[in-house]
Amino acid sequence: MSLDYVKFTPGFDKWMPKEYRDMVEHGPFGKKTTVSQVGSFKEILEEHPMCAGCAMTLFIRLAIIAFPNPEDTITVGTAGCGRLAISQAAIPFVYGNYGDQNGVASGLSRGLRLRFGDRPKDVVVLAGDGGMADIGFAQTLHSWFRKEKFTTIMLDNEVYGNTGGQESGMTNKGQVLKMAPLGKKFEKMDMLGMAKIAGCAYVATVVPNNPRRVESVIKKAVLIAREVGPTYIQAYTSCNIEYAIPTDKVLEDCKEVEDDRYKFTEYLTDEAKETLSGLYGYKEYLPKPVPAITKN
Amino acid sequence: MYLVANISVDICAATSCKLCTQFCPEANTILYNDEAGKEKGLRYGSAYVSVDRCKGCAQCVWVCDNMAKHNAIKMEMIDLIGDQALTENIHYGEKSTTATLANPFPG
Repeated sequence: MSLDYVKFTPGFDKWMPKEYRDMVEHGPFGKKTTVSQVGSFKEILEEHPMCAGCAMTLFIRLAIIAFPNPEDTITVGTAGCGRLAISQAAIPFVYGNYGDQNGVASGLSRGLRLRFGDRPKDVVVLAGDGGMADIGFAQTLHSWFRKEKFTTIMLDNEVYGNTGGQESGMTNKGQVLKMAPLGKKFEKMDMLGMAKIAGCAYVATVVPNNPRRVESVIKKAVLIAREVGPTYIQAYTSCNIEYAIPTDKVLEDCKEVEDDRYKFTEYLTDEAKETLSGLYGYKEYLPKPVPAITKN
Repeated sequence: MYLVANISVDICAATSCKLCTQFCPEANTILYNDEAGKEKGLRYGSAYVSVDRCKGCAQCVWVCDNMAKHNAIKMEMIDLIGDQALTENIHYGEKSTTATLANPFPG
């Protein structure tokens, strides 16, 4: 949870594995790294067992690169595909029981604020649509109503991908899946609307076919959660196995879905805009000058 | 045997978009060498693949062909592409990486 844990124990440095040495010497800890520099520094995420070509992995990779202070960040997840990758990153990962990730993150966030005071310690929940909108729905919504200061990111693959293709609350109406052969009978849940009603300070939808936008959205959400209140990002991360998307067409599918029903949207409260412009220098959210009144 | 991505230095170092490094779902797999093309008199460096980590999804091929329109990446059989970058031979520098190439299937 600080730069102190990403260094060698004296005398042991030459015995450490290459990946660890690279991480300490050339990782992003304590530096300002961006998505555009990727490929020239050692990434926090490491080898993982997720499927080849998985869009969720791409999103997780970009999200972890985008964390403003990775050395001061804890991720929280739950059962589902995502944790297979998130747990392979060189930042602490807490595995909540199925559905309680936002409850765990609430306690963690409060505890870190008590322990470290003003030093920012970011808690980021990364969980799938099943863990967040179905099984963990109550805890997710309650954490937002309580105005818990952490970021919630939904990895929305619109299916229970890890257990064989059951429909989730986030599956689209009419969608036929292996374990939903008659098609889903209900509409996709409006988690974005609920996040706004529940009082989230920042709500955004994003698709991983625009890495710089993913970076920008994650940075803003984490920074707002530090100061203002809960933030929510809903990311379309297709399941190429359950939706039978060829791996080399995954990004094409992302683009089609983005154009169709997952357009980029961003909602900020006034307080969130003030925080971004005042504390973190986001010029686009500076209050616009009022035009001078002239007498004719 | 199986397919892995292979990036043409000649094409990549003439254009240098770095899109494949950003769109690869695998971490620390498509890396960038600032000097790779300059050695050949080309303008930029080149991306390269750490083939022991490539899962062969070919997303980079789609990105290079359709987004960048450079057609610099091809999927090739790992035992037929000769000397390639492997994770254990990659050296990170201040702003770039270099790789000592080796045959993934010696002998």
